[in-house]
Amino acid sequence: MTEAAPAVEHAEPTLRLRGVGRRFGGLLAVDEVDLDVVHGERRAILGPNGAGKTTLFNVICGDLSASTGTVEIFGEDVTKKPARYRAKMGLARTYQQSRLFDGLTVEDSIYLAIVGVEGGRLRPVLVPGKEREIRERAREAAGRVAISHKLGEMVGSLSHGEHRQVAIAMALAAEPKALMLDEPASGLSRGERQLLTELLLGLDRDITLILIEHDMDIALRVAESVTMMHDGRVIVEGTPDEIRANETVHDLYLGRGYGHE
Amino acid sequence: MTVDRTKLATERVIGVAALVVAVLAPTLFSAFWLNSILTQALILGIGAASLIFLSAYGGMISLAQTGLMGIAGYALANMVTQRVPGGETKGLLLGWDPTVGLVAAILLTVGIGLVFGAVASRSYGIYFLMLTLTYTVIAFLFVGSVTLIGGFSPVAGVDTYTPGFIGDIVTDRERLYYITLITAVFVYLLVRYLVRTPFGVSLQGIRDEPVRMASLGYNVALHRTIAFGIGAFIAALAGVLSAWWFGQLSPTTMGLDATIQMLVIAVIGGLRRIEGAWLGAIAFLMINNEITNRIPSSGLPVIGGTFNTVIGFIFLAIVIVSPDGLMGLWDRMWDALRRRGGPPHAEPEGGEPAAVASS
Repeated sequence: MTEAAPAVEHAEPTLRLRGVGRRFGGLLAVDEVDLDVVHGERRAILGPNGAGKTTLFNVICGDLSASTGTVEIFGEDVTKKPARYRAKMGLARTYQQSRLFDGLTVEDSIYLAIVGVEGGRLRPVLVPGKEREIRERAREAAGRVAISHKLGEMVGSLSHGEHRQVAIAMALAAEPKALMLDEPASGLSRGERQLLTELLLGLDRDITLILIEHDMDIALRVAESVTMMHDGRVIVEGTPDEIRANETVHDLYLGRGYGHE
Repeated sequence: MTVDRTKLATERVIGVAALVVAVLAPTLFSAFWLNSILTQALILGIGAASLIFLSAYGGMISLAQTGLMGIAGYALANMVTQRVPGGETKGLLLGWDPTVGLVAAILLTVGIGLVFGAVASRSYGIYFLMLTLTYTVIAFLFVGSVTLIGGFSPVAGVDTYTPGFIGDIVTDRERLYYITLITAVFVYLLVRYLVRTPFGVSLQGIRDEPVRMASLGYNVALHRTIAFGIGAFIAALAGVLSAWWFGQLSPTTMGLDATIQMLVIAVIGGLRRIEGAWLGAIAFLMINNEITNRIPSSGLPVIGGTFNTVIGFIFLAIVIVSPDGLMGLWDRMWDALRRRGGPPHAEPEGGEPAAVASS
């Protein structure tokens, strides 16, 4: 199933889903999903709106619990573990609607991403050395996504594109082992997309990347393997080339309907 | 940027001036003003600060603060007052050492606050508001119905059993004023410091996006619980001072009227900045004082009604004109200045149109 990925040689599983389902009342948003992502892989998850991609992300990161099945991260069964536990294991993500801290500055936001995994979250005193170190790392992360000039600005006053930059800086600052990005390019200008693509291509190979993206140019350029979802289920997996050639994918994206495979 | 700096400098000057006036107050104001307006404003301000701390930095609007104040006062009153021959004081009359009683009352209130906070820590918005109102109602009914610790008649004489370092506050009201002032400055500095620490910045993150904070590795419920405990600590300080100021405790100190009054003070001052607590309290008491002096006891001309009518109108006007209270009005004034007089490159890409997403 995943032989296509070149990173398979050191195939320590980063993510392993078995029979994962998520039900909202009568709606089965995610249905019996098996998914394996290995260390260092670049995986894109594609599919039309309502395919269950974001719900799957939420189940993986722990914002939602799985109704059925098991979620394993870095070889550990975390099905019953809260989101914060998974974050501390090294799983970072961004959200489709950026979900940022409007009332905090850019620097404070990135600072929180680091404190979240570093410990000392409840510390009610300022330890100058620690503060300096974390703030330094926060500024460095801001530099990586070219948002350094806005460090002191309130996040709520920034543009949409800048929100995306902040979200990615926050995810990177936590120095995650696995990074999940939910439509990072949506709403970005052409130039911003170019920058994003370069950033993703230049990402440390030790970081596993899982990407939901509607922009096929970006998704198929960055990803080495692609999982195609529809109606909550995985329908195709393969390399970008295989996906491009796949008729079902064409049907789905051209809107001719699915079901006559 | 320059406007922000001017604003900060102006606020510093005003803050220092206010502090100087506060320190010199006993020489500047009459004994009535000092005791009835300023001391009470500082105490109510500390109570409102516990509410505003939770709302401004934690996004939690709590109606439990008056309840917690009352709990601290009642705990203190029951612990320190003694049985006097021929006296008819209510309560347990434990007669503990006042210093022990003071510490124990504050610790007990913080403990109860942590329990309250833990139960409410997964609730947001209106549900949080209702739960915290329930806490105050529980406290009110508890002290009212358990005659052993008080009942509906007041527990008296708290102010005569103060620790040595507090001294005689019954005859020396100036002393009580300064104790209150020091506590208020302490609370203000405490909050200003806390919100810059990892705990405080995290709390603000939780205020804005609790779900995001959880996926960043934070235990949101624990964080909110501890914040509520800190709010309870501040409320306990206000409760103790209030008990000393009144000299006696009755359930009405944590009744619905007192709860609404605390909320009104916080809203008039502004729920988003801690300074609003004392601004709201002094405004509230001054309006109260003016109206009581000017309006005949028969009520306002034509429409009738008294203090509550006027404060109701003021409350309404503030909520409509400036939902963030007087502090919000102040902030908006500076925002307007920034837009008009700020440097031309202040916000060049303010309304950058988002590119159309391809899908």
